[in-house]
Amino acid sequence: MEPVANMKKPEPALQVHGLHAAYRRNKVLEDVTFEAMPGTLTAIVGPNGAGKSTLLKTMLDLHPRLGGEVRFFGTAYRNAKLKVGYVPQRGSVDWDFPTDALDVVLMGLYGRIGWFRRPGRRHREQALEALAKMGMADFAKRQISELSGGQQQRVFLARALVQDADLYLLDEPLAGVDAATERAIMETLKTLRAAGKTVMVVHHDLQTVEDWFDHVLLLNRTVIAHGPTAEVFTPDNLARAYGGWLRRKEPVPR
Amino acid sequence: MSRSKKKRTIVLTAALLALLPLLAACGSGGGAAATGSDGGEAGGASAAGTGKDGAIHVVTTIAQIAEPLSVIGGDRVRVESLMGPGVDPHLYQASQGDIRKLGSADAVFYNGLHLEANMTRAFDSIGKSRPALAVGETIAQDRLLTDETGAVDPHIWFDIDLWKDALAAAVEELKKLSPDDAAYFEANRRDYFAKLDELKEEAVAKMSSIPEERRVLVTAHDAFGYFGRMLGLEVVGLQGLSTEDEIGLGDIERTIDLLVERRVPAVFVESSINPKSIEAVIEGAKERGLNVRLGGELFSDAMGGAGTEEGTYIGMFRHNVDTIHEALAGEE
Amino acid sequence: MIGLSHNALWVLVSMLMLGTAAGLVGCFAYWKRHSLMSDALAHAALPGVVAGYALLGFKILPVMLLGAAASALVGALAVSWIRSSSRVKEDAAMGIILSVFFGLGIMLLAIVNRLPGGGQSGLDSFIFGQAAAMVRQDMRLMTAAAAIVLLVVLVSFKEWKLHLFDPAFARGLGLSGRLMDAAYLTLLVVVIVIGIQAVGVILMAALLIIPAVSARYWTNAFGTMLALSALFGGGAGVAGAYVSTLESGWPTGPFIVIAAAGIFLVSFLFGLRKGLLLKAMQRREQMRRLRTRAIRSDKLTEGEALP
Repeated sequence: MEPVANMKKPEPALQVHGLHAAYRRNKVLEDVTFEAMPGTLTAIVGPNGAGKSTLLKTMLDLHPRLGGEVRFFGTAYRNAKLKVGYVPQRGSVDWDFPTDALDVVLMGLYGRIGWFRRPGRRHREQALEALAKMGMADFAKRQISELSGGQQQRVFLARALVQDADLYLLDEPLAGVDAATERAIMETLKTLRAAGKTVMVVHHDLQTVEDWFDHVLLLNRTVIAHGPTAEVFTPDNLARAYGGWLRRKEPVPR
Repeated sequence: MSRSKKKRTIVLTAALLALLPLLAACGSGGGAAATGSDGGEAGGASAAGTGKDGAIHVVTTIAQIAEPLSVIGGDRVRVESLMGPGVDPHLYQASQGDIRKLGSADAVFYNGLHLEANMTRAFDSIGKSRPALAVGETIAQDRLLTDETGAVDPHIWFDIDLWKDALAAAVEELKKLSPDDAAYFEANRRDYFAKLDELKEEAVAKMSSIPEERRVLVTAHDAFGYFGRMLGLEVVGLQGLSTEDEIGLGDIERTIDLLVERRVPAVFVESSINPKSIEAVIEGAKERGLNVRLGGELFSDAMGGAGTEEGTYIGMFRHNVDTIHEALAGEE
Repeated sequence: MIGLSHNALWVLVSMLMLGTAAGLVGCFAYWKRHSLMSDALAHAALPGVVAGYALLGFKILPVMLLGAAASALVGALAVSWIRSSSRVKEDAAMGIILSVFFGLGIMLLAIVNRLPGGGQSGLDSFIFGQAAAMVRQDMRLMTAAAAIVLLVVLVSFKEWKLHLFDPAFARGLGLSGRLMDAAYLTLLVVVIVIGIQAVGVILMAALLIIPAVSARYWTNAFGTMLALSALFGGGAGVAGAYVSTLESGWPTGPFIVIAAAGIFLVSFLFGLRKGLLLKAMQRREQMRRLRTRAIRSDKLTEGEALP
């Protein structure tokens, strides 16, 4: 078979090289290096305090970087902002704030609406669509303080969807949500992957990594291992990542 | 991480605690103000009776007492006052340095009648170890003015006759402290009082030359009651007898009404009061078509700078009379 | 408004504008969980006012106000520094700055009051305010301040909503948190510095805090809360100022605070969203439904009480 002449090697969506970061006095990220390709759904796992959240924040310039380089679609973050969607941890926000679900989703569009302008009807429709995708269309006018944990998470995800980004970074989106929400969220992420987007998720539950994610990044201050789940998600790597905190995992006979 | 943070917290707390004795240490000359000053400390100062160079050490609150006494006492007394020019005695709080000064005096004279409102405790405790005389309280009650609430007007130094009696009471005290100098004090007193009589005649003459309907004195607070009574002026103060009360809109409006009704040409600010309320009166009157001038600055609770003419009782009084006369007697 | 003297008009309008501006900015402070900060900054302004006078030797209002702004900002920086470099928590840090700066201000005041002409500077009036002495220029100043605050709020309304709700996400979209915080701090300091002439350092915080808190009881929408907060602030300003004119010798500043407190009480009891009365009625309704259901399913007979 002749190779297709004009088939290019795909560009990585995200390239991180030698990233260092500290939190107060402690080094939290040490020489972190990895790449993420388009059309992948990667889980970032590691023990508590391993720097997973910090990794996302540092990449997005939300946390000071001590060294290293981060490239989004070949360029610096500030030039690629519209292509990156960030879903922070649910607890990072005050859900008592007086606003409704639709309003929160609309916030995802502020970059496109432009500063000092009002959201238009078109924007509102887009937001409603995103809510509908997450099964929250009926809750559009509901106060966010009245939403359950799972519903809040769906709103957050809808907000990310509406940004129509190419790379999505999510920080523990499945923490504390009900099973239905977990399914809904993961289905959405899989849809994004199928559309060629890049999705990276800080994930807390080792048991479900193999079910949902095709790639895994094992992080414990530095990158322990990174690659396709089948190759990388091994008992040895897990032991190295979790430093003997886990009992050796026996493969379950299928 | 936690260790260095803990260290910084400790350093911060220690720094704050260290500030406190530091502030207390810079007591003399206006350090931390103490409310209800503790007289206990002052008790242990120099023994009463004789000063360093044989002169009687006198400490007063207001300079209206101090300056005349320094003239009458001559070189047989050393007089100092706690409150300088521009100081408001109604609000004044004694500092540690003041307490020390009081403690080192042979005699303490103050106005009383609630003028030095925040210093009563200091006077009480000082009075236990040396003569502390409220000169205002030696005057008979029926000669004093009161306001509608029954509070006594303490600004008695504006009535020359009352003030002569108050000063005389202080001089008697001096004579008791130094009987050898009694004759000396008496002679000086007579000379000084003669000057005061002259001053009174001058003032009465000048004020009479102001047309009757213009004899209205509008100032920031009711300090000039006795002044008005002695010289035939109607006195209106924006605030009451003490500067502790906040000026209300009603007070400003009533004052403006009076000005407009009587077509008073000038109002006056005082050296120890915030002029903003008087300015509000002037602007309000202007809106109603009356151009009220700022007649000038009067000395009310305090006198002028030491060493100046207005720093003397007579000079201060004369300044007030002249300023009022010029503003009210002149053409509108 | 017939029969009002010019002075009364200046005072009422000044207080209306000040209350409106304070209500708006106070709403931001509320959502930044910074309400104590407004109190701390108001108190921190005092040494600056005194220093502004002491440096020059006579009273020039713009200099004193600049001094107030400067020392309030120093106070704000000090709070950040304490928080970031020691274990002291934010509210404790604000408490420290509030008391230390205020004490420093009183100390400076005591010193200045002994200097010749010290009393005339009217520095004491910055502690409790002198609302009754507002003149046309004050009215203009406060109207300008209110207009500026209103402009900033209206123009960047959604930016404020975003920044107050999710500052991290906002930064991700390109909305600089630093810029928003700087703008907020500037507005806060401007309102404080202008306001302390009227209501004084001690009561300024009431105008910044109470209207915003009261508004919360009536609405679940951020925009409405802002509008109500402005309304309550302005209303308290006017009502308090008006009541203080009825009798001679009644101080204006405290009456404004009482008016604000009255609005809070009404909101707390009768607020449409979280008021006490509403909650009591809702609970009654829920109990009633429970009883009905229990009766219907034969778990309860009529007249019997719920377990």
